[in-house]
Amino acid sequence: MMDPLSEFGSRYLVSVVLVTLQVSLTAVGISTVVSLAISLTMSFVDFRGERAVETVINTGMGFPSVVAGLGVLLLLSNQGPVGGGFAVGPFRFGGVELLFTREAMVVSQCVLAVPVITSVSLSAIEDVDQSVRDAAFAAGGTRRDVQLTVVREARYGIVTAVLAGFGRAISEVGSVLIVGGNIAVRDSSGELVSLTRTLTTAITIEARRGQYEVGIALGVVLLVLALGVNAVGNVVRARGERS
Amino acid sequence: MTADTGPTDARPYAGDSSIRVAAEAVSYGYAGSDDREPVLREASLAAEPGEVVALVGPSGTGKTTLLRLFALFDPPDEGRVTIDDRDAWSLTADERLRRRRRIGFVFQDRSLFTGSVAHNVAYGLTVRRSWRERAGRWARTLVGSDDPPDRVHRALETVGMAGMADRDTRSLSAGEAQRVAVARSLATDPDVLLLDEPTANLDPRNTAAIEDAVTDARDRGIGIAIATHDMAQARRVADRSAVMLDGTVIERGPTERVFDDPNDERARAFVRGELVY
Repeated sequence: MMDPLSEFGSRYLVSVVLVTLQVSLTAVGISTVVSLAISLTMSFVDFRGERAVETVINTGMGFPSVVAGLGVLLLLSNQGPVGGGFAVGPFRFGGVELLFTREAMVVSQCVLAVPVITSVSLSAIEDVDQSVRDAAFAAGGTRRDVQLTVVREARYGIVTAVLAGFGRAISEVGSVLIVGGNIAVRDSSGELVSLTRTLTTAITIEARRGQYEVGIALGVVLLVLALGVNAVGNVVRARGERS
Repeated sequence: MTADTGPTDARPYAGDSSIRVAAEAVSYGYAGSDDREPVLREASLAAEPGEVVALVGPSGTGKTTLLRLFALFDPPDEGRVTIDDRDAWSLTADERLRRRRRIGFVFQDRSLFTGSVAHNVAYGLTVRRSWRERAGRWARTLVGSDDPPDRVHRALETVGMAGMADRDTRSLSAGEAQRVAVARSLATDPDVLLLDEPTANLDPRNTAAIEDAVTDARDRGIGIAIATHDMAQARRVADRSAVMLDGTVIERGPTERVFDDPNDERARAFVRGELVY
């Protein structure tokens, strides 16, 4: 009997891992910037509708990924505002073909990761004791100094938030399947390589095909990757706490 | 003048001369409290250069709030907080910041930042530097070639914690943490030092260390206001004392006179321990 694993060259596996990391790390990077901007604004600026924003963020924490994928699909399809474009007077915007690309997958992962990173980092920032803010102010700190000090005090919580966001992104399957298309192609040497296929979507397709060994192998790689990133995050956090 | 770029003379952040901070008939209520119920009602007090004034009174009478108004956390609802006879809240934000930076504050609760003792004590110096200099120092810290400024070591010596600059603040006892907080306030050479029950729950050794730092600061011309429940402490360190009740100062004067022969009937009952509150 033929070994199912031998059907796939190492290049295929490497390309799937690289696409997974590229998409997830890019999405987490963008999401971190967006989320920190939101959580800092919510922590330090009083504005109308703050509660509503918080409710939306908390709802987003449990947002079904397939719904997020569907939303991004509608946005990016040639019927949607980004994919199809729209006109404002004589000006035309959009018309960008992003569907079934890694960029589309990044967008869909951002939609899912932003609420997680925002919520956890907001909680970490708001958990910083008022006495720290008072001490920073009383020591001569400006408003910005106080804010930076609070962020510094919340840094381990923020690292946890980023790790949680990465966990959400890398384990994502529904939305990246919809907007990415799970595409792998054969290159000039005839070897299968991933274009928009991630570890999770690859597992889905292999399981559907009955290639359980391949699915398990990909699953192990996914677990090792998630574990590795979390381990690095924990080491950074532990070193920071010790220093 | 207060500079923002970190000059190097002996008292770089102190003012040209010592300043006087005063509250003139201030009233204040916290936002969110019932109808902004006033915590302070037309309270008046001054922290004069080279003098310790003790604020005594039962809990909840507004001692902490008065100190916070002195430190310019918030403007009073009524009355004025003046620095050298100028209404602090009529100044521009920059002028107010410059004056605020001449005032040190020690809180009752543990208020240290995570990290080393040196990081905490140097904090006030750090925020007075330009962003460029901060970035340079941060880079030097990363490569391990940045030593805490001399003033950090001197401030730690003042509170009896010389050689502890590298200690992690999480490993400090409550007394040590409070001494670090005092050192943090002294490192910037303030003209006025405000202490909110700094020795509450501390053992006699740590209490003595903080009282020594207070009298040492007073001898260097710093004006000090200290809120305390400990009337014996007020007698030990304060030149003047003020008794607060129901959000206002009901008695003030030389410490000995306030405790031995107060004019106000309620103040007399308080110092005798007869005031049930």
